Amino acid sequence: MSAPAPARPSGSAPVTRAGHRSRFSSVAAKYIMAITGLIFSAYVLVHMIGNLKVYQGPEAFNSYAHWLRNAFYPVLPYEGLLWILRVVLLVSVIAHIVCALILKSRARRARGGARAPSIRRRRGLGLSVFAGRSMLVTGVVLLLFVIFHILDLTTGTSPAAPDGFQAATHESSYAYSNLVDSFSRWPASLIYIVAMLALALHLLHGLVSSVYDLGIGVGSKARNILAAVALLVALVVALGNITIPVAVLTGLIS
Amino acid sequence: MKLTIDVWRQASDETDGRFVSYTVDDAAAEMSLPELLDRLNSQLVEEGEDPIAFDTDCREGICGTCGITVDGIPHGPEPHTPMCRQHLRSFSDGAHIRMEPFRSSAFPVVRDLVVDRSAMDRVVASGGFVSVDAGTAPDADTRQIPFDMAERALDFSACIGCGACIAACPNGSSHLFTGSLLTHLATLPQGKPERGRRARGVVESAEEEFGPCSVYGECAEVCPAGIPLSAISAVNREAARAAVRRNRDD
Ligand code: HEM
Ligand code: SF4
Ligand code: FES
Repeated sequence: MSAPAPARPSGSAPVTRAGHRSRFSSVAAKYIMAITGLIFSAYVLVHMIGNLKVYQGPEAFNSYAHWLRNAFYPVLPYEGLLWILRVVLLVSVIAHIVCALILKSRARRARGGARAPSIRRRRGLGLSVFAGRSMLVTGVVLLLFVIFHILDLTTGTSPAAPDGFQAATHESSYAYSNLVDSFSRWPASLIYIVAMLALALHLLHGLVSSVYDLGIGVGSKARNILAAVALLVALVVALGNITIPVAVLTGLIS
Repeated sequence: MKLTIDVWRQASDETDGRFVSYTVDDAAAEMSLPELLDRLNSQLVEEGEDPIAFDTDCREGICGTCGITVDGIPHGPEPHTPMCRQHLRSFSDGAHIRMEPFRSSAFPVVRDLVVDRSAMDRVVASGGFVSVDAGTAPDADTRQIPFDMAERALDFSACIGCGACIAACPNGSSHLFTGSLLTHLATLPQGKPERGRRARGVVESAEEEFGPCSVYGECAEVCPAGIPLSAISAVNREAARAAVRRNRDD
């Protein structure tokens, strides 16, 4: 519908619009970000639970890693489940990042960049405000981490991977010894720990944000519950994973 | 009380602006911010200088005409209070106050503290209304509306259209304003026949005029009408609903 726009009340300067005229709406971009973000959240939660199998010893962990490759065989081919996950996650991460960049550039333009200096000052800067403001930074940290993580424990490419890396074969997996070898190097452990803190912050804002983005009306009571759930998930995922490099460095796992 | 006020002076959208420092010696705690500016302006006129341009109308918090950024916060330090209802008792004697226009790409400066907020009018004009026959008032009981529904619509219709949410937003987004508009009209039976058409028009226009939402929540912190943050989710919800229902008007 196209109602006539009221005339500019002052002066005769042409109307400059702060938004965008692309056919790709920000509403669609936000739905895509929320859905792909939730796919990632579910993935990192399940992945963390799987990682905790390391505490059941080498056999349990290796056979879990082996099962991931042979799951649903022969319905699925060798590594079938893994490849389905990889494709879904790759498409998700690309869509998530492309939408993030489009939205970020629209936001910069609408805010006004240098012409309208950022002057807002919020009462207090709580953890959730900080998490929201640092999405771009934590997102970039996560992307770099994911690349490092794949080179380290999936492809075994040095210098990311430890020296004694052994690739999985059709018969067996060496996930346990690869993991212990990798985390025995303290810089590698540090990278994992820092990345998990970034993940916690990204999840903290991302989970709350995705509920709003999906168009779900959240009252003030429900918002508190939602924020608490997001904090809980963020902490559980991050701390669950962080215990592993700590356990290796302290010699609890070897 | 004695106050030092740094005020943004700008002749028009085409020229650059800057802060100019003024002192008011005889300010009083019970003065409102527009009264402080009135006081300063009579001082300036006496000295033969140009008075500071700023917008106000009702000065009782209902019209949404006022709005400046005070010490970095749209409307000022008192939460959920329009600029015209902010008083000097929020400041201490000898304080330094910084006043500047609402900042956002969508709000070009007209002069000094006055900005052009017609982008918001264009959003409303693209469907944010109810096309009813505005003849004589109907009998109050002809249309029954449950109490909760009426309350909900009233909560979201409280928006006074000031634009503070947009000025507070790091993304220059209008979601609190747009969402409150869509929510209250979608709640009431009078708004339902045009619900889908309205959502398409209003959301498309808001995307042309303003930025996207990142759920920072800055808007609801400053809103003088206390519009709840849940309003922002109505933008995506109503847009998705209208998209799924394709060309239907309702
Ligand atoms: C490899 C992992 C990830 C990368 C590289 C990444 C990247 C990014 C980036 C760059 C942004 C900034 C968008 C902005 O500033 O507007 C962002 C926002 C967001 N992320 Fe992620 N992300 C990742 C994982 C996740 C996960 C696990 C979630 C789980 C919910 C998630 C949910 C979100 C959501 C909902 C937003 C939108 C926030 C906004 O509107 O600003 N992301 N992501
Ligand atoms: S939602 Fe609140 S801050 Fe935004 S225009 Fe309406 S009254 Fe002003
Ligand atoms: S002047 Fe009317 S709301 Fe402030």
